[in-house]
Amino acid sequence: MTGVRKSFGSVAALDGADFYLRHGEIHALLGENGAGKSTLMNILYGLELRDGGEILIDGHPVDFQTPQDAVAEGLGMVHQHFKLVPRLTVIENVILGGKDSRAFRLPDLETSARKLEDLAETYGLPISARDRVSNLSVGEQQRVEILRSLYFGARTLILDEPTASLTPLEVRQLLAKLRDLARAGTSIIIITHHLDEVMESADRVTVLRSGSNVGTLEASETSQLELARMMVGRDVGILTQSDAIRDQKVDQSVKDKNRPVLRLSGVDASSRVAETGKETVARRGLFDLSLEIHPGEIVAVAGVEGNGQAELEDVLSGFLEVDQGEFAIDGKDCTTCSPEDLLNLGAGYIPSDRYRRGLIGGLSVAVNVSYDRIGEAPVGNRFWVDSKELMRLGDRAVEEYSIAVRGAGELAGTLSGGNAQRVVIARALAKELRLLVAAQPTRGLDVGAIEFIWGLLEEQRSRGLATLLITTDLDEVMALSDRVYVMYRGRLSEVPRDRESIGLAMGGANKQGEESL
Amino acid sequence: MAVTGALVTGGILLVLVGANPVDAYVEMVKGTFGSWFDVSLVLTEMVPLVIIGLGLVIAFKARIWNIGAEGQFMFGALVGGAFALRVPLQNQFLAIPAVLLVGALAGALWGLLVAAARVRWRVNEVISSLLLNYVALFVFAYAVRKPLRDPGGFKPTSERVPDQFVLGDVPVDEIRVHVGIVVALLLVPLVGFLVNRSPFGMRATMFGMNPEAAQAAGVNASKMTLRIMMLSGALAGLAGIIQVLGSELRLSNNMSTGYGFTAIVVALIARLRPFGVLLAAAFLGALTLGGDVIQRTQQVPRVLTMVIQAIFVLFLLLADRRRSN
Repeated sequence: MTGVRKSFGSVAALDGADFYLRHGEIHALLGENGAGKSTLMNILYGLELRDGGEILIDGHPVDFQTPQDAVAEGLGMVHQHFKLVPRLTVIENVILGGKDSRAFRLPDLETSARKLEDLAETYGLPISARDRVSNLSVGEQQRVEILRSLYFGARTLILDEPTASLTPLEVRQLLAKLRDLARAGTSIIIITHHLDEVMESADRVTVLRSGSNVGTLEASETSQLELARMMVGRDVGILTQSDAIRDQKVDQSVKDKNRPVLRLSGVDASSRVAETGKETVARRGLFDLSLEIHPGEIVAVAGVEGNGQAELEDVLSGFLEVDQGEFAIDGKDCTTCSPEDLLNLGAGYIPSDRYRRGLIGGLSVAVNVSYDRIGEAPVGNRFWVDSKELMRLGDRAVEEYSIAVRGAGELAGTLSGGNAQRVVIARALAKELRLLVAAQPTRGLDVGAIEFIWGLLEEQRSRGLATLLITTDLDEVMALSDRVYVMYRGRLSEVPRDRESIGLAMGGANKQGEESL
Repeated sequence: MAVTGALVTGGILLVLVGANPVDAYVEMVKGTFGSWFDVSLVLTEMVPLVIIGLGLVIAFKARIWNIGAEGQFMFGALVGGAFALRVPLQNQFLAIPAVLLVGALAGALWGLLVAAARVRWRVNEVISSLLLNYVALFVFAYAVRKPLRDPGGFKPTSERVPDQFVLGDVPVDEIRVHVGIVVALLLVPLVGFLVNRSPFGMRATMFGMNPEAAQAAGVNASKMTLRIMMLSGALAGLAGIIQVLGSELRLSNNMSTGYGFTAIVVALIARLRPFGVLLAAAFLGALTLGGDVIQRTQQVPRVLTMVIQAIFVLFLLLADRRRSN
C-alpha cells in the first residue's frame, strides 16, 4: 500500500500512509487511537474506499469495492468485536454469507463442518463445528473468526486488536498460534497498541501517527521505549516510571492504616437482569467479596471483563443492592444506599460506560460538569439554578482539564472519548471526596489522555483520597495501584503486585490447563 | 410552507365535499378572530388546553409519557365538582381556592396511580395512563347517572354548582372569559421557571435525556417519576375543575371534547416550551372553533373539520421535524 489517503469530512484520517507486508510474516501495525490503523486496514479489506494511493498484491494493483472482493483475493479480517451470531452454531456462522449459501437452497452443513474441522486440525485450532457460539468463551469465538477466514482461503489475515478481551494466558497462546500460522506461510497483520505483544510476536512493526507512517522497524532491533516514542512523538513518562518508586508509595500507604474508607465484607449480590439462554456462561453476581481501602491508597481490581466487575461497579455506585454482607463507607452502613446516598457520603464515581452513565449528551458541557450539584451551592440554591455560575464553573473545568471545546456551552454529546472522560472526571473531582470508584477510567483513550488521567488519580492519592480502580488494563494496574485484587467468576482475591501473579489469577490459575487455545 | 401545504390539502378535501375552500377558510378566520365575542370563545377554549398542556410539558421533559391527561382532567372535574355540590362552604374566597385544590389533588391522585404502577411493577406509563382514562370516564359517567344526578334534569348531568363556587368573568368589557384564563396565563411563566430555571426542572430534564446518568448524579428515579406524574396530573385535574366552575357550571358527560388528547398535540407543537404552549393552544383552539363555524355556515360536516385539523397538525409536526434535522 503506497500513499494511501482518506478523509472523513474535513479530517484527514490517512495522509499518504505506506504499508508493505511480506509473505509469511507477522507485521504489527502500531499507533495511538485515531492514528489511522483501523482506517488503513478497513481500506485494505474493502470496508472503506480510499481517496488516493495504490494497493498492490503480489505486484498487481487491486481495487476492492467490498470485503467480498478482498476475500476473493485471499484476505481475511478478524474484527475487534466479533461478527458472530450467538444463537447459531460454529459451522452456521462460518458459512453465513459465504459463496455456497445461495438463496432457496440449504447449504450442505455436513460437508462444510467436516471441511472446517479438518482445517481446524491442520492448523491446531481445535473447535467443535456443532457448538452454539453463545456457549463459547471469548478465546474460542476468536478461533472461530480466524478459522472462518482460513475457510474462505485467506492467505493474509488482518486482526484488529486481537488481544483486547483475552486473559494474559490466552494472549500468549494466541500469539504462539499466530506464529505457527505465519511459519506455515500465512501473512498476518496485527493492529494493536500493546507494545509487549508487538515485541513478543511480530517480525516487523509499522508505526502510524496521525495518518502517516513514522517508520517500519524489525522487531528484533527495537525496544518498547523506542516504539512508544514513535507512537506519541515524544517521551512518555508513564512507561518509564520504575516499580521502585511505586514500592515506596506502598510503604507510605501501609502506614496510615488507621481506618478504612471503604469496607466490604462477605458481600453477595446478584445482577438485576438475569441472563437467559446462556446456560454455560459463568453465574452472574458477586460472591463473598471482602475488601478494604484506606485513605491515600489506590486499590486495583483487575480481571477479564465479565467476571463480576460490572456488578461490583453497580454495588459501589448504588445501582445494585447488596444481598448479604457488609458494605460501609467511613463506618456508615451502605448496604441499601442509593446513588444519591453514596454521593452524599463523599463517594465519587467514574462509570465504565461514560456515555450511558457519565454524560448527558443533550446538555452543555457546563451543565455536565456540575449537574450532580444542581440544587445546592454554588450552583444556585434549592429553588433556583444559577446559570451564570454554572457557566463559570464550566469554563474553569474546560481550562483546568484541557477539554477540547470552543466553549463550555457546547453540547457534551459532541465530545470525543478523551474529552468526554475529562468532563466525567472534572465533575467527580469537583466535590470533596472520601472515596473514588473509577471503573475503566482510561478505556479506549489515547496515550495523552491516559497520562493525564493517571496523573490526576495519583495527585488525588497524594491528597489522601481512597481510590478503587476497576480495570482490565494490566498496564494501568501496574502504573497506579498500591494493592491488587483480581476478580474471577464473581470472586475477589488479593494477589501480589506483579504481572505474573495477576495474569495467573485472571485466568483462574487452577484452570489454566483446560483453557488452551 | 407547512401552513400552505395544510391549506392546499384541506382545500382539496373541501372541494371533494362540494364546498368552496376559499369561502370556508375566510369563514374560519372570521369566525374565530372576527369579533370580540369570537375571540372570547377562542380564549375560553384555550384555558384547559394551556393548563393541561403545561402539565404535559413537565412530564414529557422527563420523558414520562403521560397519555392520561384526559382521565386526570375528568377525575379532577368529578371530585372537585362533587366537593362543590356537597360541601357547603359559603364564603367565596374560601370556597374557590378549596375546590381548586381538591380538583388538582384528585388529578394528582389519578397521575399517582400511573407513577406508582411504573415504579412498583414497571408498568409502562403509556398503557396504564391511557387505560385509566377509560376508568375515569366511566366513573364519571356513573356518578352523573346515579349519586350526583340532578333529579329534576332530563339528561344525566349534575345540578348546577352553587354560586359561591362559580368562576366569574374577567372584568374586561369586550371580552367574556371566565377567570380561568388568568390562572392559565399565570401558570405559563410559573411552569416556565419550574422547567427551565429550577433545580427540579433541570433534574427532570436530565432524567428525561439520560435516566442512568441522572441517577448516578443523585436523581432518585422513583421520586422523580412520582413527583412528575403527580404534578402533571394535578394540572390536568385543575383544568378539569376550572372547566366545571368556569364554563360548564355542572358535571356532564360530554364536558370534554378530548382536551386531554388535544393537549398532547399542544405540548408537542410547542416543542415542550411553556410559552410555546400558549401559542399552540391558541392555534388549536381556533382550529376547533373554526371547524364549528364552517359546519354552520358552509355545511361542511364536523368530521371533515376534524380531518382538516389533523392535517394542520401533521404538516406542522412534519415541518418541525425537518427543521430540527
